Amino acid sequence: MKELLEIWRFREVLFNLVRRNLKVRYKNSVLGFLWSLLNPLMQIGVWWLVFKVIMGMPQKDYTAQLITGFLPWLFFSQCVLDSTACVTQEMALVKKAYFPRAILPLSSLLSNLVHLALAFVVAVVLFVIWRVNVNIHYWLVIPSTLLVATFAYGLSAMLAAWSVLYADVKFIVNNLLGLWFFLTPVIYPIQLVLGKQAMASDGWLKRLINILLPYIKTIYLLDPVTISILGYRSGLLKGGENPITVSPEIVPGMTPQQVAAAHAQAAARQELLRAQYPIGHYIIGAVIITLVTAVVGHLVFRRLSWTFAEKG
Amino acid sequence: MNLSTKPQHAREAAAEPVIEVQHLWKKYRRPHIKITSLKEAFVAFIRGQTGYTEFWALEDVSFAVQPGEAVGVVGPNGSGKSTLFAVIARVLRPTRGTVSVRGKVCPLLELGTGFHPELSGRDNVYLNASLLGLSHEETRQRYRDIVAFAELEDVMEAPVKTYSTGMLVRLGFSVAVHMDPEVLLIDEVLSVGDEHFQHKSFDRLKQFKDEGKTVFVVSHDLFAVRQLCERCLWVQHGKLLMDGPAVEVIKAYREAVAQQDQAVEG
Repeated sequence: MKELLEIWRFREVLFNLVRRNLKVRYKNSVLGFLWSLLNPLMQIGVWWLVFKVIMGMPQKDYTAQLITGFLPWLFFSQCVLDSTACVTQEMALVKKAYFPRAILPLSSLLSNLVHLALAFVVAVVLFVIWRVNVNIHYWLVIPSTLLVATFAYGLSAMLAAWSVLYADVKFIVNNLLGLWFFLTPVIYPIQLVLGKQAMASDGWLKRLINILLPYIKTIYLLDPVTISILGYRSGLLKGGENPITVSPEIVPGMTPQQVAAAHAQAAARQELLRAQYPIGHYIIGAVIITLVTAVVGHLVFRRLSWTFAEKG
Repeated sequence: MNLSTKPQHAREAAAEPVIEVQHLWKKYRRPHIKITSLKEAFVAFIRGQTGYTEFWALEDVSFAVQPGEAVGVVGPNGSGKSTLFAVIARVLRPTRGTVSVRGKVCPLLELGTGFHPELSGRDNVYLNASLLGLSHEETRQRYRDIVAFAELEDVMEAPVKTYSTGMLVRLGFSVAVHMDPEVLLIDEVLSVGDEHFQHKSFDRLKQFKDEGKTVFVVSHDLFAVRQLCERCLWVQHGKLLMDGPAVEVIKAYREAVAQQDQAVEG
């Protein structure tokens, strides 16, 4: 509580640092601020090309799904990446001036939040133009953002403090983020993981995976980033519906009966998955994980923050 | 050589001290080898190296500064002066003992600390002022004075990477002295800018003192310390060797340095 007041007292520093981060990021580039929109658009373009055009994802709204998943992911990964440099870059300040150190990870978090908000404005405009199922459940975006931002703060604070001690943290984080990206349903629909069946058990590795599979699925769905992405999708694309969906596999040239059968099959599988994974429980679980991460991360940061100024 | 005197507690009584340092100890860990990666930490662990030696940068330092006093700290390099300064500025935490500072404190940051090279002079003034505890509105009110004092009216919109060192120094100093603090902490920034600006900044500090504000200076510039401060602390090897009138302390310090130099030459 006392700490929050202290941060509030130094809010001007926080705002000034955020303003500075935003101004400096694209300094000396011709397109300037536009890059914060062009960057994600281009990356989304690459995934769209690979999955929609080359591999032919069957989902109707794949592009919209991709955008609603990628933007929160980009926010999260950028926050975590920035955090590894947020203290070391400001050593000159840390060694000379007093201010609550938590302002450093907070300022990189807030600057990334501004980028996220801008990108989403563009995304929503696109959805309206494409007549994607836009609806009145936009409010879901707010808790989803809060969830992923709080989770990102906890991790950022922890990593920021550790990366002052060890430069390795940056590289480890870089690699883990590459893996984490594929462990969130950004480029593929979630039923691909949740609906995964046990493999024919030849070989010890496959047997091991089969045993672990239910646990992996549970952990997968408890990931606050995943829950947050599902929240965005549910809010922006699905009209507040349960985000666990199975779309029917329809191949051109099917007879109407086959199409109907595919729909029925998909509906049945969706029913099954929803019953198997009650989304409400997982949301509560993800919220608890987020809060624990935020508190632990902040405490680790606070404990170590007094030693920052003593580092060479 | 018996120069050590007990810190003077005699003078307090009148008002509550602005800066009160009681039995301050500060321990540092000096690594044998610099460990900045997990691999190095692992190797050091395998070889059974503890990694660091501990040493005391400050040992049992106590003193109090009364409102309106101007106190200088002198001592050779590595004596603990800057550590003392950092603890008072709340950048470092004491290992033992207490430090309490009352009133609005403004550390005069080492020149241009917190200046971002890509930002304009104007943006940097706002950033720097907020670090020193000024709100946006308060800074806006003082902005013209700050720029005028630094004599940089023409270049405030240019990024500070285009400034000369002298310009940076002037701007940093100007921001700090316009903070209107009750306590001004100064670390090695007495000689800023050219002759003209040096006079100006020195006059400004004197004016501070005359307004009854507290000034705490850490410096190698003995001449400036003697001019500005009536009281002086001599810190060496982390210990407070002497605390008294500036003229006497500086004289004693000079003699000690001269003796040491002779010993080296002889």
